[in-house]
Amino acid sequence: MNKPSHSAFAKTAEEALAAQDALDAEPMTSEMATEVAMQNTLLTPRFYTTDFDEMDAIDVTPVRDDWDTLIAQMKADPNNGHFKKNEDWDSVDWDGMEPKLKAEFIDFLISSCTAEFSGCVLYKEMKRRGSNSDITTLFQLMARDEARHAGFINDALREAGIRVNLGFLTQKKKYTYFRPKFIYYATYLSEKIGYARYITIFRHLEANPEHRFHPIFKWFREWCNDEFSHGEAFALLMKTDPKLTESFTNKLWIKFFLTAVYSTMWVRDHQRPVFHDALGVDTTWYGQEVFRKTSEISKQVFPFTLDIDHPRWVPMLNKMEAASRQVAKGKEEGGIGGTATRVVGMAKAAYCFISLLTIPAVHHKVPESTRLEPAY
Amino acid sequence: MGLLTRSTETAPCEVTISHRFEELSAHVKFLNGAVVNPGDSVMVHGAEIMAPYGEIVSEERTATITRASWLEQQWTRWTGDFEFMELCEFSFSEEVLS
Repeated sequence: MNKPSHSAFAKTAEEALAAQDALDAEPMTSEMATEVAMQNTLLTPRFYTTDFDEMDAIDVTPVRDDWDTLIAQMKADPNNGHFKKNEDWDSVDWDGMEPKLKAEFIDFLISSCTAEFSGCVLYKEMKRRGSNSDITTLFQLMARDEARHAGFINDALREAGIRVNLGFLTQKKKYTYFRPKFIYYATYLSEKIGYARYITIFRHLEANPEHRFHPIFKWFREWCNDEFSHGEAFALLMKTDPKLTESFTNKLWIKFFLTAVYSTMWVRDHQRPVFHDALGVDTTWYGQEVFRKTSEISKQVFPFTLDIDHPRWVPMLNKMEAASRQVAKGKEEGGIGGTATRVVGMAKAAYCFISLLTIPAVHHKVPESTRLEPAY
Repeated sequence: MGLLTRSTETAPCEVTISHRFEELSAHVKFLNGAVVNPGDSVMVHGAEIMAPYGEIVSEERTATITRASWLEQQWTRWTGDFEFMELCEFSFSEEVLS
């Protein structure tokens, strides 16, 4: 079967119409017409493998009580009824939205959807490959949440006339590798920083509702509570093996991950100025506020936090952002001149990253029990 | 596994897509127990698959697994970790609006 048999399977509007023509008997419904008129966006998740035997060997006995409580809470699924569109979902005037804002906001929705989708693929794979029931139960529950979030964002995208395309499924895809401990550091941080980002926007819009230009923000609080509990699970996993957060090498890795995640967020957010303006959020304030919350939370398991008040911190982040713009400009220009611009930009970014990485960290004593509840 | 050479094999697989409000997900499961290792590539044959909105579809297909060479596998093991940023909501994604 080479031609799509249904318009919804089609890659392009032409294909969809052709598929529709083939089904002469069936008249075009308005639903199909909507489907045909939609723009496509290709999701590009990554595919991972890891050392499944090592993950399977995790013994949660040292944190059993906290673990069982958390899993029971996730199984009870308090957010089951949350992801529904009710009367709070006001209609959105997509056509009246300023084009730049629309573009940045849609980019925000698509990257959120991709991240949820990638998380879901990763968690599901671990669930499938593992045999330790503590671990597989956790990953199954997390995959459930991520797929639910992705579905919710997908619906918001569809309202904006954008259809996700899962064409990657039938394209050649390479599997990369993630060491288990890196999965803990990276997913722990991405879940906790996700919580801090969403709750900061939610609280800001609670105080300034006139800036809420799309109803999806009203869902952010319960949504980010899912992220929060996923982070809790990874904190407990790290607690099962003290070496993960205490050995010299691992501390260096943690510092690397913190610096990489914080600086990427800074660069990326500063490249969505219109989106943040519309929210009435100062991007620099927002970045620092998110780092502050994430650092405070991460004290539960990491033995230090980054010194975000260091005199070098903000200036270096800004320089890194400028370097990233230079790289993008070089790429766009192409040719020898463009390549030179790009390489110089990359060198500048690397210099900034090293400068950030060498800011002395702020050490503290990690508490015995890690468990936290969302408090912001 | 060759030091520098790749090999290929085929495996039956099941592709499941949920394209619903309550769940957007897609998974590929090998039906013969084949396991993918670092650096391997997977290609599912046939036309593009997509569930109409509101539905789940599941299709059996054939996939070709290209096994990485030993060197490629080691390389992936050492460098794969740096792709972690993809999991963050603010990551740089390569999506293209067509």
